[in-house]
Amino acid sequence: MCGIAALFAYGSDAPPADADEIDAITERMRPRGPDAGGTWISPDRRVALGARRLAIIDLTDEGTQPMTDTDGDLRIVFNGEIYNHRELRARLERLGARFHSTTDTEVLLQLYRHDGASMVELLRGMFAFAIWEPRQRRMFVARDPYGIKPLYVADDGSTFRAASTVKALLAGGQIARAHDPAGVAGFWLMGSVPEPYTIFRDIRAVEAGTSLFIDENGIRNTRRYYSIASTLGRGVKDEPAARLVHPPILVRELVTDSLRHHLISDVPVGAFLSSGIDSTALVALATEATGQPPRTVTLRFDEFRGQAFDESPLASRFAQRIGSDHVTRLVTRDEFISELPKFFDAMDQPTIDGANTWFVSKAAAERGLKVAISGLGGDELFGSYPSFRALPRIVVAARIPFAASTASRLARNPKAKAAARYGRSWAGAYLLKRGLFLPDDLPALMGADAAEEGLRHLSMIEHIAEAINPDPGTAFGRVAALEASLYMRNQLLRDTDWASMAHSLEVRTPLVDATLLRQIAPLLLVEKERCKRHFANSPRNPLPDWLSERRKTGFTVPLAEWMDLAPDGTSTRMRSWARMVLERWS
Amino acid sequence: MRILHLGTDSFGGYGGIALFNREFISALVAHPACEEVVVLPRLIPRQPEAVPDKATFVTGAARGKFAYVRAIRQALRSGPFDLVVCGHVNLLPLARLTGQSPLLITHGIDAWKRLRDPISNYLVHKIRGVISVSDLTRERFIAWSHFSGPAFVLPNAVRVKNYGVRARRQDLIDRWSLAGKRVLLTLGRIVGTERYKGFDEVLDAMPALLRAQPEVVYMIAGSGSDIPRLKLRAAELGVADSVRFTGFIAEDEKPDLYNLADVYVMPSRGEGFGFVFLEAMACGVPVIASCLDGGREAVRLGALGPLVDPTNPAEIRVAIEDALSSGAPRAIPEGLEFFSYENFERRTHAIIDALTTA
Repeated sequence: MCGIAALFAYGSDAPPADADEIDAITERMRPRGPDAGGTWISPDRRVALGARRLAIIDLTDEGTQPMTDTDGDLRIVFNGEIYNHRELRARLERLGARFHSTTDTEVLLQLYRHDGASMVELLRGMFAFAIWEPRQRRMFVARDPYGIKPLYVADDGSTFRAASTVKALLAGGQIARAHDPAGVAGFWLMGSVPEPYTIFRDIRAVEAGTSLFIDENGIRNTRRYYSIASTLGRGVKDEPAARLVHPPILVRELVTDSLRHHLISDVPVGAFLSSGIDSTALVALATEATGQPPRTVTLRFDEFRGQAFDESPLASRFAQRIGSDHVTRLVTRDEFISELPKFFDAMDQPTIDGANTWFVSKAAAERGLKVAISGLGGDELFGSYPSFRALPRIVVAARIPFAASTASRLARNPKAKAAARYGRSWAGAYLLKRGLFLPDDLPALMGADAAEEGLRHLSMIEHIAEAINPDPGTAFGRVAALEASLYMRNQLLRDTDWASMAHSLEVRTPLVDATLLRQIAPLLLVEKERCKRHFANSPRNPLPDWLSERRKTGFTVPLAEWMDLAPDGTSTRMRSWARMVLERWS
Repeated sequence: MRILHLGTDSFGGYGGIALFNREFISALVAHPACEEVVVLPRLIPRQPEAVPDKATFVTGAARGKFAYVRAIRQALRSGPFDLVVCGHVNLLPLARLTGQSPLLITHGIDAWKRLRDPISNYLVHKIRGVISVSDLTRERFIAWSHFSGPAFVLPNAVRVKNYGVRARRQDLIDRWSLAGKRVLLTLGRIVGTERYKGFDEVLDAMPALLRAQPEVVYMIAGSGSDIPRLKLRAAELGVADSVRFTGFIAEDEKPDLYNLADVYVMPSRGEGFGFVFLEAMACGVPVIASCLDGGREAVRLGALGPLVDPTNPAEIRVAIEDALSSGAPRAIPEGLEFFSYENFERRTHAIIDALTTA
């Protein structure tokens, strides 16, 4: 887990790569990698690489980046973890490769040497990396299938720049800070900036599951090598195999396999624990897999005392049941207020979420942990968001002649009023369900011209529809693809990255795993929403009823109380918070 | 010790379960304390092999359900049995007629989830113990049945002397136009209801494989109703000329069939164990197995051959390419000894001793 940076002055008219720039970019990411750092500039000064390292696998200096392979030819900067690096290494050694370290970083180099760009299809993990090939004078860049690890790029037509964070790229001083109306519009609509847009006009995200080359002609061969929608669509064909096995057992086998991979580490791995099924079942399965429970952390807020939102009593009870070394960390309003400057400084792009991960990561780091597993992704995988029921209903209802238009006339709720306009398509229904604001609200929020330009560039409905292209073929598959490709990617995963890395903590997400999705997709399509119950029953000692029957509340913090947020028509007052975020962040 | 063996098929049977039963009965009669094993088969589809001494093979049992029940009653009248073996979960109700708790044998998908028949679901709690051909099958059986008694793993055995590395038979090369070809092989039943052998997955890898190595041919060996669909799939992928469908393969032709192959590949999802991997390795053919079913245990979790995720086309393609490019001469892997008949017999005796002394 690291922060990485790369510069490639590919154009003949581009100025040479600047040591000060790569240093500034890399230094901005110091919290992401406090253990070591380094930069490298090619002899001809056309390429510069930089990295900050959080040492987790192979703690020796052999893991320092930028790293070369044994031939001293290829050079890499890599952020993330390759969970199947041992299997890949064994294969490469059989094929004659030699290694000078036990890092997964070096496995990437050797794998690229052997398999070229198709290597990304063999990786299990979270990653963003850049490999420089001096002989071909090109750079290979790739990002993991789900987009767990971030990678942002700026290409001015002669110099390519990449870094793990938007703010790091800006720190280099060569990129304009002009806001992108599409990114701003996306933030107002969804509460986070939808990739590939960023809040800045000249910076774009490398899209999840994508690889590309940069050579003397610029960016080439951009390839989408993994698609959540395709994976869910292919799952239909394999449904017969999923029906062979008792569902909780298959869930146990596949999630445990993912967990075993995610627990590979040379430092202790802890766990975030709430009173929800995802984190408790994961901790139970991790305990079974390793023979001992991980250290666990839960947050408590006085504002939630005695309410269903207070996760700490049941989490503590569960921790006691499995015998984990558990800490309940109290977070107060005063602490939050005092942390706000650091919070907004670390927030890479505006977002209405992240406070929960900020504090639970802080608590984990206080316990001396460098790595923690999280149940993030369980709702998207096992279909336990209300959207899995709501979206099909919206689409069906909106297609009934006159029903939607009548509801639009009679309704007072703005979203219900918009049902006739948006509800007939899956993408529109998703915008209705997940949207923070609707497009008609934007002129008042960001000005009429900017809103018009932003909405035109963003094409929000088409943008959402891309998440279900190709069509997964089932209602469950469509909602799962939408939630995983949009809300989870742009909000949950991105917020988890910056909020945890600010505390030098690597968060691992065993339920957000491309291999797991491929393997479990047929079962998801057969069992649908029942999968969450199967997950609760998957440990050898299934979750007790007082956990599995608990009403879902979500992992939330009392922002409305802390910030005295004004009523805004939502129960969480997130619209008011969004206004505050955009003011404070910029 | 007298043992009653109730099985689907054994001597005179086809396929992996029949083979397992034959080897198991042979191992039982070889136990020093064994006086007799009475074998009641439900089916005898072909001329039976020689039955070992101390085994009484009751052919009349295979004439139908009523005949089978009569055979059980007759066997019980012949004297008490120290152990009743139930060779398949579907036979549990019949095994109950003996009045004894049977030792159940589970082979694979038959025991991976709750049974359709509620009586059988009840009867799994009345068994004396369970033998599974793989740890995967044992774990899956225990997980749904909550059986807490003795549970053993007894992997299949392969008698290497019946196979061996042989020269490719020219008549088979001619029959399937394999001259100058690099041959991938999968052998199995090809029926629509068992669409988890991995035929589709290998077919899907063929276009990329052929781009790099046009001489690659995929042999799909076996018979079944799903062949027309696979042929259509091969045509859709544009690889029909590089795919061979052999049809039914007789038992005595199998060693020569395996010897035609450069790689045996079966990225399956429904194998309880995967005896075919042992057969292929006994012919010195490199194998590629699945990480998602019992096939992984046939290659000893990757020690005898690489494991691939059947859901990842890239892994399948790369594993095949690696195997084709290895250049190593065909040889029987040393670790195959783990599955020798001698080890099978030793394990069987240990199970019987554990059960009878308990």
